[in-house]
Amino acid sequence: MGSREQILGKLRAARKPFEDVPPITERKHMVKLADLSPETLRARFIDEAEKLSCYVCEAKSDQEALDYILAVLEDRKQVMSWDAKHIPIEGYQDALDKNEILVSGYNDPMVYVGVTGVDAALAATGSLVLCAGAGKHRATSLLPDIHIAVVKSDQLLPDLEAWIAQEKQTGTPAFKITSNTTIVSGPSKTADIGQELIKGAHGPRQVHIILL
Amino acid sequence: MKVDSNNFISLAEIAIDNPNLQEAITKGTNNAFDKRQLAMFADGRAHGEAMRQQAAEAKRRALRQLPELLEKAENMMTENGFIVKWAVDGNEANQMVLDIIREHGVQTVTKSKSMLTEEIGLNPVLEASDVRVVETDLGEYIIQLNNEPPSHIIAPVLHRTKAEIRDIFVRELNMTPTDDAGEMVAFARDKLRSDFVNSDMGISGGNFIIAETGSLALVMNEGNGRMCMSLPKVHVALVGIEKVIESLDDYATLTQVLPRSGTGQNMTVYTNIINGPSRPDEDGGPEIVYIILVDNGRSDIYATDYAEALACIRCGACQNACPVYRSTGGHAYGWVYGGPIGAVITPLLVGLDEASPLPYASSLCGSCKQVCPVDIDLPRMLLDLRHDLVEKGNGGRVWQLGMNAWAFGNVSPMRFELGGRVARLGQKVVGNNLPGVLGKWTKYRDFPDFAPKSFRQMWREREKGSDHNG
Amino acid sequence: MGLLERESPKGKRASLFVTCIVDMVYPGTGMSVVDILEHVGVKVDFPMEQTCCGQPAFNSGYQGDSKTVAKHFLKAFKNAEVIVTPSGSCCAMVRHEYPTLFADDPEWAAEAQRVASITWEFTEFIVDGLGITDLGLELPARQEFAFHDACHGMRLLGLGDASRTLVGNVKNADVVDLKDSDVCCGFGGLFSVKMADVSNAMLTKKMACINDSEAKTIITGDVSCMTQMNGGLSRHESSKRVRHVADVLAEGLKLAKKEVGDS
Repeated sequence: MGSREQILGKLRAARKPFEDVPPITERKHMVKLADLSPETLRARFIDEAEKLSCYVCEAKSDQEALDYILAVLEDRKQVMSWDAKHIPIEGYQDALDKNEILVSGYNDPMVYVGVTGVDAALAATGSLVLCAGAGKHRATSLLPDIHIAVVKSDQLLPDLEAWIAQEKQTGTPAFKITSNTTIVSGPSKTADIGQELIKGAHGPRQVHIILL
Repeated sequence: MKVDSNNFISLAEIAIDNPNLQEAITKGTNNAFDKRQLAMFADGRAHGEAMRQQAAEAKRRALRQLPELLEKAENMMTENGFIVKWAVDGNEANQMVLDIIREHGVQTVTKSKSMLTEEIGLNPVLEASDVRVVETDLGEYIIQLNNEPPSHIIAPVLHRTKAEIRDIFVRELNMTPTDDAGEMVAFARDKLRSDFVNSDMGISGGNFIIAETGSLALVMNEGNGRMCMSLPKVHVALVGIEKVIESLDDYATLTQVLPRSGTGQNMTVYTNIINGPSRPDEDGGPEIVYIILVDNGRSDIYATDYAEALACIRCGACQNACPVYRSTGGHAYGWVYGGPIGAVITPLLVGLDEASPLPYASSLCGSCKQVCPVDIDLPRMLLDLRHDLVEKGNGGRVWQLGMNAWAFGNVSPMRFELGGRVARLGQKVVGNNLPGVLGKWTKYRDFPDFAPKSFRQMWREREKGSDHNG
Repeated sequence: MGLLERESPKGKRASLFVTCIVDMVYPGTGMSVVDILEHVGVKVDFPMEQTCCGQPAFNSGYQGDSKTVAKHFLKAFKNAEVIVTPSGSCCAMVRHEYPTLFADDPEWAAEAQRVASITWEFTEFIVDGLGITDLGLELPARQEFAFHDACHGMRLLGLGDASRTLVGNVKNADVVDLKDSDVCCGFGGLFSVKMADVSNAMLTKKMACINDSEAKTIITGDVSCMTQMNGGLSRHESSKRVRHVADVLAEGLKLAKKEVGDS
């Protein structure tokens, strides 16, 4: 008998545990959000993201967004980036070209800054949802020291439960189509050394969010 | 890892007398516990308790249909491109990993933290076969350098102070001495960078398997896990069979109570959902992803009244809340899992004979159950394990006879009173030096005097007095 | 398993379950309980057959011996309408464990349930059972008190603030903080000797909090915890002591208002 049959056999032969545990009648969301208006969600998102030590730039124009990215790059000439069509800033590729900034390979550990868009953003926890895909390399938000994420305000959802509800309406692509979905909440960190919270363990040290 | 749980009492004594250890675990557990309180009750106590119940119900519902759910998960995961394997025990799982390594010509493995791989002793098996295994979780990295086991479910190096970690880096890696934690982390980051990029295979555990969609879900903070799962060509995930959950809705609840309970975070920095190998149109990512579903004694536990122990989502909250763990740290428990959950599943997984003190390593204060995000009744299971030990005869003849005598004395008020009188007299003789095991009381504490008159004597006199007056 | 619902104990005779430790070591505490109950007009009796609830054996895994003693308890209290006890842990043994202990025993299951559903811990009996929060008591001089929350009472019985409420309403009683008041003192029954080093480590932490508190007297609802804490405090020559809530309240009886009814 194979291991699979052995294991399943034992489980099936056992008396079912928890037969009398009643179902939850009303599913609660982890975070209570009283007000779901766009303004409140936006304010909540910024607040939560900043509590996580993200830098939030509320860009009123594409140009402001581009200026911010260039400022973070300082005079570096290399950047890791999702394809321009996934970065919701008009003129993004042009700006890179004009400043002679090269979009490098997606697995280059020496590149300092990575720029991505997002697939969604979660207000309740200041989180960014990033799905892997064509031109949306997963390492862009992982290898560089600085991760810049560009978020359009219409991508903002209340919370994880709301995002999952939205996913269910479209065949749960984040759980099937893509091979990898990462929900990012702040820069990487560790408190393993004497309980001191240090940012920038192995993932990015800084997360910058440009909110359009 | 060799089981040393029968030495709990002496290991605990050593731990209590170790000032570095005491400093480290006090800081670590206080920090995590306080943060847990804030995070779980951010929207009020009632809401936090309601979410615990919702999470508890989700895990129990999943366990109720475990075989069916595992089959569903297997189908969905296979559809998603995972290669799903089943391992009856740790040996089989370890052998599977070796086979995969050979098949793909793997020379370097980068490993993300997985308690299951500690449980089955994967690393020594791999190292014996000349594969270079690099633990990449910072805590695991440090204990690997220092050749010791983890001491906490989510914070493997909780038992070491910053100074001790500094010394380990200096000794093993020639780090320039520094007391700046940021510098130490940066040092480790630099050291590991090339290992991440050049690794042939990443090994991880898994926090949840979502049967509805056939997805593997993980929660992480440092980014090393993502490195292990994204950069190498091969990813192998080892996951206990009890980790499968039913639905995305359950996932939403569980992946949010877990960080709140473990570290006080609302979300871990990286909440990952893996749906198989890299798709044809994606750049990067693993070409092949294996899931090894590991039993290793879980199906045995499933068939007993201890099935509730399988609801554990490995958050570590019980360890942070447990006053015993907070005094002894994890190593005293002698195996991979310490604290309240360890005291329950260690004997269940390795056998009561190998871990007989553990069910008694508790004052039954109930803090663990109070903080468990899935409301596991750990105190009840500790009591039942004590009963199991007694039934097996582990209690020993002397204790059994003592209990029989105690029961005999307590089914008769006359004998009860007589016993009290004898104790009162005896105390005059022995004073503060109680005999035998009771001497362990007076080692540290004074013992009160038995009262000259017992309550029932006073009651009798009171009744007599009122009879006279009445 | 949840705790069984209880009917109101108002107007019923209260049978005192004094507990073996109070009986033999702290009988004064038993008398304090009687005095307070009589102060609020409760008729108290003391079933002389009683011995122990069986907890020590149960907690050590000797369920057989525990059941033997528990059966005796059921017999001793067979005529009780209401049972009151000055111990959270003993009350929890009866309320929380007896129904399960006797679940498979057709002869005793019903009686175990009955007894479990009429048993009250002392402070919850007064506050929740009788609805009295102010006993009309007054201490002869100002005293500061802090509270240690005994584990079984707090977590298994959900005793909450009953003790603090009663003491808080005593004239001349000031309630101050005790750090980590809800952390276990390290008694845990035979744990205190079986795992003496760990028990002492926990006690040491508790004593540090006690010595730091502004209160000279710490109040608790379990004499077992009290014995552990006082055992350490006297060994280490601390001036602080732990007292049972009933004794502190009883101290306020001399100057008490005569009439106390439902509030």
